Amino acid sequence: MSDRPDNLVAPSSVDLTGGDDTNLSDVIVPMWRQRLRIFAHNKLAVTSVIFLVALILFCYLGPILYHTNQTDQATALNNPFNAPPSLKHLLGTDSSGFDELGRIMFGGEYSLSLGILAGMITIVVGTIYGMVSGFLGGIVDTIMMRFLDALLSIPLLFLLITLIAVFERSTVFLIVIIGVTGWFGNARIIRGDALLIKKLEYSQAATAMGASKWHIILRHVFPNSMSNIVTVATFSVADAILFLSTLGFLGLGIPTPQTDWGTMLQNGSVQQSNGFWWEIYPTALLFVLLIVAITYVGEALRDVFEVRLLER
Amino acid sequence: MLNYVLRRLVQSFIVLLIVMLLIFTLPYFEPNGILAPAYIVLGTHATPQSIHLWGEQNGIFHPYFVRFWNYLIQVFVHFNLGHSYKQNLSVWGIISLYVPRTIWLALSSLILTVLIAVPLGIFQASRRNTTFDYVATSGAFILYGIPAFLLGILALQFFSFGWPHLPASPPGNVAPWAMFTDPAGFILPVLTLTLLSIAFLSRFMRSAVLEVLVQDYVRSAKAKGCSRSRVLFRHAFRNALGPIVIILGLYFPGLLGGAVVIESVFNYSGLGIQTVTAASTLDIPTVLGITLLVAILTLSGNFLADIMLGVVNPRIRIERSGQ
Repeated sequence: MSDRPDNLVAPSSVDLTGGDDTNLSDVIVPMWRQRLRIFAHNKLAVTSVIFLVALILFCYLGPILYHTNQTDQATALNNPFNAPPSLKHLLGTDSSGFDELGRIMFGGEYSLSLGILAGMITIVVGTIYGMVSGFLGGIVDTIMMRFLDALLSIPLLFLLITLIAVFERSTVFLIVIIGVTGWFGNARIIRGDALLIKKLEYSQAATAMGASKWHIILRHVFPNSMSNIVTVATFSVADAILFLSTLGFLGLGIPTPQTDWGTMLQNGSVQQSNGFWWEIYPTALLFVLLIVAITYVGEALRDVFEVRLLER
Repeated sequence: MLNYVLRRLVQSFIVLLIVMLLIFTLPYFEPNGILAPAYIVLGTHATPQSIHLWGEQNGIFHPYFVRFWNYLIQVFVHFNLGHSYKQNLSVWGIISLYVPRTIWLALSSLILTVLIAVPLGIFQASRRNTTFDYVATSGAFILYGIPAFLLGILALQFFSFGWPHLPASPPGNVAPWAMFTDPAGFILPVLTLTLLSIAFLSRFMRSAVLEVLVQDYVRSAKAKGCSRSRVLFRHAFRNALGPIVIILGLYFPGLLGGAVVIESVFNYSGLGIQTVTAASTLDIPTVLGITLLVAILTLSGNFLADIMLGVVNPRIRIERSGQ
């Protein structure tokens, strides 16, 4: 398996038997560089990364340059409601008097940070569950997979709504429930990986040498399914952001005065028939671009880890 | 075949029991715990003694598994899912009132999806890498990136507030089959849900047909002089049917989830809106009852998909029944 990060792959044109004084380390391109090169080849993915960095800067550094009140509802009442864009409010105000441009930054912070945190939870839980289940196999695997079937048979949105109804709603809680409900699919994928890697020669060799199960999981299965984990993690973040915004749209999202893009779109859609476009379209555009950009990065990462592409 | 069906049936039933155990356990975590119904029934001024008495009379202090057994009996024998905290109705009453509307919405958009996405996918696969394929693929990709609620908002903007003044939401208190007698109000919700599903299914259909088109038997069919359409429909389509059947079964929960969002956007009073309202008013028995129903529907969908798969592909039913 040449998929180890410390592996070196030589271009086929190089004469490895020596003969001249070329230093080998100059010719051999490290794996991560080759991967970076494949990634850089994908213009769409590079554009997406640039966009994502710009968006993060916009949301987190923007409020320093464009300072607005986003938390004090009483002060916001002094502003005109639903005012169209003007010099004072570059993108107008929303129905509570909050400045819309500042609101986009403020809501974006929540969408991004909650999405990333929840996505991380799904990938950690999914990886552990999938690896243990796939690697241990047998009755443990059967029980763990039946349990997963049970969880998967409740449509995710209904499961989220149910949990929100039963437990008390808060920002931390939203991260946790999106995290603990999003890992089912990830666990399936990682389990498939573990099943595959368990059968490969190096795992069997390690078993033959007396390595413990946990040693093999940590030192062999985990590093070798890293490629899948990274790719799945990317899509998980996009899914978490989507679910967070869907909950926000249904009015079950982050409690006011905090907000996220889904909640903002919900508030905007209430005003839709009045033609207050600034309350919907800027947020909607950024939102769709965010999801598309993450998806493109994920697809590019999948290509990067595709070993067959390495020797181009 | 019977062996296969029975095995799947037992498996589904075990999964259903796990789901019910989860749903049964959740109320322990709600505010006031399992005594919450007592507080609702007896009102705000109930004394702790009367709460305790009510709990004893209704078997709330029985051991966990005894209560779970009673719950199973209650659900399976009496079809009793509890009583709503907020509406003066039983949960089963709420469900039977609103479920037909959601089923009509989901089914009609599912039928439309199959009618459009399947030929579209086949056509894309047979004309791979042509302009049409690129346009359709990137269209599906963009639709995939737009969340359902945003698609709904845009649809409202263009077709309801924009030029063709379609009604923004369907009429409220009408019979479930009003869709056929007065279709105008239903056009937007059904079409939005359909568009979402097409984006998903056509991509799947395209790759399923592409996979079949490289098989040896397709090459043989071409070699012996079959026409293009004959190859496509007699050889490729039939063999791509298996994955489609599965995906329709697996897609059903996604469709119901989509229906929740679409119902909220277009104010289509169905099960989805009821779920969201119940969740935001902390009407927990209603939420749990609807979730259980949806889980049962999903499990039946998966079960039917597996059976259909066994019917269209004999290899699977032999392999999975362990013969």
